[in-house]
Amino acid sequence: MPAVQAVTVSTDPQVYEDEHVHSVYDEIAPHFSSTRYKPWPIIAQFLSSLPTGWVGLDSGTGNGKYLPLPQDRPGSVWTIGLDRSRNLLEIAQNAGDIRREVVWGNVLERPWRAGSFDYAISIATIHHLSTPARRKLATQRIIESISPYHGRALIYVWAVEQDELSKRNLPADSSPNNKATDRAPAKGQDVFVPWVLSPQATGKTRAKNAASQNAEETAERSKVFNRYYHMFAQGELRQLVGEAALELGLVVSSPNEMKDGNGDSLIHGLEIVQDGWERSNYYIEIRRWECIS
Amino acid sequence: MVRLITHNLLACHAKGCTSNNFPLQFKDVQVELREAEFNPDFLRGFIPRLEWGALVDAARQLGDTSLPAEPPEMLDVEFLQKLHHVLLEVHVEEGAMICPNCNHVYPISNGIPNMLLAEHEIG
Repeated sequence: MPAVQAVTVSTDPQVYEDEHVHSVYDEIAPHFSSTRYKPWPIIAQFLSSLPTGWVGLDSGTGNGKYLPLPQDRPGSVWTIGLDRSRNLLEIAQNAGDIRREVVWGNVLERPWRAGSFDYAISIATIHHLSTPARRKLATQRIIESISPYHGRALIYVWAVEQDELSKRNLPADSSPNNKATDRAPAKGQDVFVPWVLSPQATGKTRAKNAASQNAEETAERSKVFNRYYHMFAQGELRQLVGEAALELGLVVSSPNEMKDGNGDSLIHGLEIVQDGWERSNYYIEIRRWECIS
Repeated sequence: MVRLITHNLLACHAKGCTSNNFPLQFKDVQVELREAEFNPDFLRGFIPRLEWGALVDAARQLGDTSLPAEPPEMLDVEFLQKLHHVLLEVHVEEGAMICPNCNHVYPISNGIPNMLLAEHEIG
């Protein structure tokens, strides 16, 4: 597998993401989808914990692999998938061989009534946005989409810290900003992650004697697509969510810590329920609340 | 698919369009009916989340007049089956949704609504 390489985002971020994220996913959609079928445990757990009757948003749904969940109570909640890649949506539309609800849209926009969802998930999506401001905006769109009284959300992004099982070869990085022990804000790393589309995967293999297909020939006809990722440093996701919430006028805290007021102000807040690292990714679970303090 | 469960959540988000931007109006639609599994527990939990008037209105635009103007107090199976049909079995496959405020057109093709905005339309 070709190595992950460090990159610098230099052009207009929208143009950059069009080239290095959106058009890549449109090209590799079927092959990509065939490799993405196993739900990650913490996400499956989150979706299993939702009350029956809730409706949710999967922001950056990809091939829609989370739309059929929870596995133990199918149909007890309804998740609607949003994605920028039309070709991935065509696949997500039939995830789990049942018709799903999918919407072609941008995670930086909010084509919904504010607060209309009970929950949201954003899995492996925000790391495709190429500036801190855009990652924060996408986070704010998620926060705005869920109920201000009880809305819950789970966000997953790729981590600089990779486990030994990861197939990726990472660039040697000497930047001190990636070290968790630093006092300076964690900055993460911008990289290209290659996707190798073999001729078999594209379905364009010529009828040919298999014996004559040596490895070199295969490599020649494979096409490599470089996807842009921002790999998150330790603490960076939590910081991003905190800043996004503060800018929206939310108190970042647990509602239990708000009981000391004199009962005359209405406070809107956001609680970080849990955050951590799982299988080379950082995740954060949040909950919105309102209370009188 | 644009089923009415999704339509009930969608709102116009074009630049400057912040009031009277919901519900979007259907135009030139092609509808397909597909059976879906009936889940009364989901529906009971979901009803309080609905903008009921918008749902009744949208259903009428698609030719279904089976829903009452207000949700009934008694959620019997007969009512839940009607609601199930309207919310989850009526698929708008082609056509468009139009903002009642700014007339922005959101096309629907192959069952997928296009909610993307052009750069100059983003607020």
